[in-house]
Amino acid sequence: MKKKIHYSTYIYWAMGLFLAIFLAQCGLKAISVVVPTSAKANQRVTFTMHCGAEPRIQGGGNYSTQLVAGIMVPKGWNARKNLTMSFTSPKGNGTMRIISDSELEPVSGLSWHQAAKKMFGIGPNLVDDMEWIVFRSTQAYSFVNNEDIDFTVKAECNVGAENMLVSLGFYIGSSIENLRPEDTDYKKFTFSNAFEVTDGEGDLIDFINPQLGTVQPVKSLDNDIITLTFDGGVTNTVLDHEPAIYLHVKAMDESGKLIAEIRKQTADTKLTDIGGKKYLIDIWPRGFFKVDKDVHIARLEYFYTDITGTKSVGYGNTDEPFKYTFRCE
Amino acid sequence: MKIYKILSWPLMLVLCIGISSCKDELGNIRTEEAEKDITGNWKVIQLTRNGENLSKRLKLEDFKIDFNADGTYSIADDLPFVVSGSGKYRLDDPQYPFSVVLSPTEGKEEVVLKFLFPVVNGKRQLSLVMSLGCSSNTYQYDCERLNGGI
Repeated sequence: MKKKIHYSTYIYWAMGLFLAIFLAQCGLKAISVVVPTSAKANQRVTFTMHCGAEPRIQGGGNYSTQLVAGIMVPKGWNARKNLTMSFTSPKGNGTMRIISDSELEPVSGLSWHQAAKKMFGIGPNLVDDMEWIVFRSTQAYSFVNNEDIDFTVKAECNVGAENMLVSLGFYIGSSIENLRPEDTDYKKFTFSNAFEVTDGEGDLIDFINPQLGTVQPVKSLDNDIITLTFDGGVTNTVLDHEPAIYLHVKAMDESGKLIAEIRKQTADTKLTDIGGKKYLIDIWPRGFFKVDKDVHIARLEYFYTDITGTKSVGYGNTDEPFKYTFRCE
Repeated sequence: MKIYKILSWPLMLVLCIGISSCKDELGNIRTEEAEKDITGNWKVIQLTRNGENLSKRLKLEDFKIDFNADGTYSIADDLPFVVSGSGKYRLDDPQYPFSVVLSPTEGKEEVVLKFLFPVVNGKRQLSLVMSLGCSSNTYQYDCERLNGGI
């Protein structure tokens, strides 16, 4: 019995030593991305990732793996339906396939897409309406010692119909290494500079810059309960020293006609102070404006005011109102 | 040791007779699941949107829904809900319901709400799950009977 324990200890030591050498001396180069600064709504765009492999295999031998690559985009793009990925390398070119939701990433126990989101997050974006989508090469590739190569992964997808300013995420990894939290050699990721979608529907959705006014959920209809937030910490405004902040809001129909306006400073329009110069108010628009059953609110225009209603702050700290359009897609 | 062996046979026999005699009695116990009764005046005590608890930020005291014994329901005007006004209701299965089916008086289509009926702190709770606007937004209403009954 003692002998058996003795042998197994040696085996574990040997495996650990092998892994330590292998992990310490093999890996991927840092990733760099080429992302256009803007694209028109629904346009098909190519995002390019440059990376490389640096195999340093002690004692020779082969290292076989499949290439894994992922991209983080706004959910509203529905990129799972039209995203394609391919790669070019000195070892051959190939296409990649999306990893099935049912296949779990072994370390996290989540799907690869969920695991990537848990591991890499949403980067510099402030609003979490993002999804990671992970692909894998259809073929495995073998490397021998010092067989350094550079390779390029191209991701193509449609950018969706909404105007937005967003930072996109990119990931390259090795299928046999999974997404181990402690690993820094086999998973390389980065986030792009601001990418803008123009000529699209609705008001600009700015995922990156701190906003004076935001609405949650990002997508809703007039029968949803929505939360309007005023962040007075973003910049100095005329409401800086006001003890209470109120909502002045107009409801418009599809044609832009005014349905109702509420500009009284009452308990119903007072925002709740949640600290850090942030205030919020939850409203159910249909109930808030008491609209008839056959009337539908298409969008809101609103300001934040003091208790007298004379000092007000609009979009970008101007006299223009904040705007919010009710839509699901 | 021999004594134990000899004694064990009668003991086993007694045990078997005992078990077989219980069988009929157990068989006679009614195990039929009772029909779920959701009639009553319900008030919303907790409301979540996409998992975020909004209960402390909303005035829940006006959020009420009545399920009447005659199969009709009525929803308070101030309650954000998937349907408004009144209509008829039924459970998809009276004994093992997974959903409440609402047939609004003025609406054309039936609305199916996911339904839970747990007992929490000794009180029967009615939990309804729905989307009020966009299907991507999910709301859960946890309700208790107004009169405090179970």
